Amino acid sequence: MKLSRLLTVLSLVLVLVVAGCSSGGDTEEDTSSSKNNDKKTPPSSEEGLTIAVESNFTSLDPHDTNDNQSYSAQSAIYEGLLGFDKDLNIVPVLAKEYSANEDSTEFTFTLKEGITFHDGAPFNAEAVKANLDRLSDPESQLRRASLFELVEKTEVLSEYEVKVTLKEPFGAMPNNFAHPAAGMISPKALEQSNQDLARNPAGTGPFKFVEWKSGDHLTVEKNEEYREEGLPKVDKIEFKPVPESGSRVAMLQTGEADFAFPVAPNQVETLKEEEGVSIETKPSLVVKYFSMNTMKEPFTDPKVRKAMNYAIDKEAYIKVVYDGYATQTKSVIAPNTQHYEEQEVYEYDPEKAKELLAEAGYPDGFETTIWGGTSSLKQKMMSFYKQQLSQVGVTLNVVPMEGGTLGDKIWGVDNPEDAELELYNGGWSPSTADADWGMRPLFSSNSFPPDAYNTAYYKNENVDELLQKGLSTADDKERGEYYAEAQKIIWDESPWVPLAVPDILYGKQDYVEGLTMLSSGVMDLKQAEIVSE
Amino acid sequence: MLKYSVKRILGMIPLLFVISLIAFMFVHLIPGDPARLIAGTDATIEEIENIREKYGLNQPLYQQYFDYMANLFQGDLGQSIVTGRPVLDMLVERFGPTLSLTLASMAWALIFGLLIGVISAVKRNKWPDHLSMFLAVSGVSIPSFWLGLMMIQLFSVQLGWFPTGGIGGFETYILPSFTLGAGVAAIIARFTRSSLMDVLKEDYIRTGRSKGLTEFKVINRHAVRNALIPVVTMSGLQFGFLLSGSIITETIFSWPGLGRLLINSITARDYPVIQSEILLFSLEFLLINLLVDLLYGFLNPKIRYEEGS
Repeated sequence: MKLSRLLTVLSLVLVLVVAGCSSGGDTEEDTSSSKNNDKKTPPSSEEGLTIAVESNFTSLDPHDTNDNQSYSAQSAIYEGLLGFDKDLNIVPVLAKEYSANEDSTEFTFTLKEGITFHDGAPFNAEAVKANLDRLSDPESQLRRASLFELVEKTEVLSEYEVKVTLKEPFGAMPNNFAHPAAGMISPKALEQSNQDLARNPAGTGPFKFVEWKSGDHLTVEKNEEYREEGLPKVDKIEFKPVPESGSRVAMLQTGEADFAFPVAPNQVETLKEEEGVSIETKPSLVVKYFSMNTMKEPFTDPKVRKAMNYAIDKEAYIKVVYDGYATQTKSVIAPNTQHYEEQEVYEYDPEKAKELLAEAGYPDGFETTIWGGTSSLKQKMMSFYKQQLSQVGVTLNVVPMEGGTLGDKIWGVDNPEDAELELYNGGWSPSTADADWGMRPLFSSNSFPPDAYNTAYYKNENVDELLQKGLSTADDKERGEYYAEAQKIIWDESPWVPLAVPDILYGKQDYVEGLTMLSSGVMDLKQAEIVSE
Repeated sequence: MLKYSVKRILGMIPLLFVISLIAFMFVHLIPGDPARLIAGTDATIEEIENIREKYGLNQPLYQQYFDYMANLFQGDLGQSIVTGRPVLDMLVERFGPTLSLTLASMAWALIFGLLIGVISAVKRNKWPDHLSMFLAVSGVSIPSFWLGLMMIQLFSVQLGWFPTGGIGGFETYILPSFTLGAGVAAIIARFTRSSLMDVLKEDYIRTGRSKGLTEFKVINRHAVRNALIPVVTMSGLQFGFLLSGSIITETIFSWPGLGRLLINSITARDYPVIQSEILLFSLEFLLINLLVDLLYGFLNPKIRYEEGS
């Protein structure tokens, strides 16, 4: 073939491929290019909002979901009986009101009337029962089945009244009802197979599902029949998974995205200079810590564990690791978690740390190993500990491991005595925002790996008892007292070095209002609007 | 040629069988428990057990392989552990974007690669050659994540010409296909240059020149065609690589292709998806190799596909 002819053919191929492929995405093309040209002009409410998120959505079946990002999209479509407000207080949503019996084994809900699902099915007690029966069916194998495994039965008392009976007392049950996984699905939609339901959702929320092209976009549109007057305020929301954080920031800069979450701390400066874009922060529910295996020398000695706490400068940690976008944690749960109780912090004091180590019989320090993930952020954390601990004579070996390997090494161990783990660089976020789920999986002696996440192998009978008591009553005040006591004991015994509560960082165009992130990391979309001057 | 093709295609079946076994073994040998990873960070042990049971992950390994192969023969690639969807649907959905991006990138790469390669071979050791080879070395050495982000900064953020990512119209193809094609163009340019320089030393080129053909005709008609064989082999190989989806380019440009699916499924240890992707990529390579072999005959009719040739 002649070169000239070959090149002509290739150019034709290029034109054809690009032209041929572009016919597929024509609807999207219009909005993105127009947005691109008139930079930062607010879209009309008909055009709607474009939200750039980090990863792909996994499912639109809330009962079978366990990632916050999917919950965010679901929160547009679904609502629960209860929900969380902006400060994570529990508020009734589809329920008008609810009550619990004294030992928190029976919960009665009175439902709001006159609500229909997106597919036309009426919302009533039967619909609630269908949902809760599905969630509590041990055979269902749903991802969030554990939230409702204690439900013994759900009874329809009248058309708008339901009673849920638990097998044993569980004081934090309202949090589980408010959890995004407890969204109410239309009974008609529930007739589909699980696989179909994951992509054909129907709830009662402010937005209706339109389409979902995996890896590219997920679109919802205004639910015209939404029960709250004047809501929602935009006609359409399009979510776009944009895994690369630099690309998400670029989309805010070009105006292709109206809202982006998350924003990496090191990109905040870039965005601050950008006109018309603002960065907002909110403390998360995540507690960053490293745990010490309390069954292994030298961490069997509380003095050593306290010394570790004094040896780490938490303020420096926040600057080094989070560019300042975090707050020092003053308990083993985050301030926005229910029943949080502030403790007296271990101020940075290397001298005191050395004294304590000497008292414990380690005047020259010791050598130990920390395990953690491989992300650059996690490696930065661990290198920071290494530097800090070296100041008090402790030699730290940093062993980053890829997630799967790390999981095997920690949760593949059946006997606590066999655990090789010494220190573990971890983080925890209780998705129900309740103290129970913030503490029981981490500090109860029933929570040793592989069952749960007590990587400190911490065992204290008082704590065990208090955590159990907290579950056995629905009385908030009483629960508060038990959890306050438990937090104090744990803080005193220091199975962890608690470090910081990182901020949730998100960026938005100035014309976007009402759209925020909850501390739990789930988006709150209901009030979103485009404000044009 | 038809007989040859059929024989080659039949020969792929046992090969794919072996590949499926190797893929299965490797994927299951990576440390990490998919059930735990997929159940999420604060899952209970019951939830993890549920996932194990649902996807047969608690069965012995040989049983899992047997089930996998039995389903495979019925055209069932299994279900994704992460999304619960049939793997086949997911692959089909992701194949289109990767294929179109690959074709666009290859077209860029061939146009630039051949032009640069030919120019630098003809103007050997003069400034066009040095410039071309400088471009080629840059193309090979510049990492695509850097190039991609720089292109976004320049062409999307500063100039506002193209969108930052996503798949859609014509304009969404420019930046990712250029990013992906740059490295390949560089490789093709270098191959073309060295191959063409060899050819230009041949007797028939001298004959062509001595009978008074213009230099353009000599190159265009006689030299390039003969220099193309190694270039075709190389391009075929590159085509195969691109068709497996580029993890980095697809991630930077939020392209919904196979590369992003692969990296996501590896992180989540989504065994059925990883296995099927490996199988698909192997199949792609086998088919491309066949295609390349057939192209040889087209470029040089002396090459025949009969037995013993």
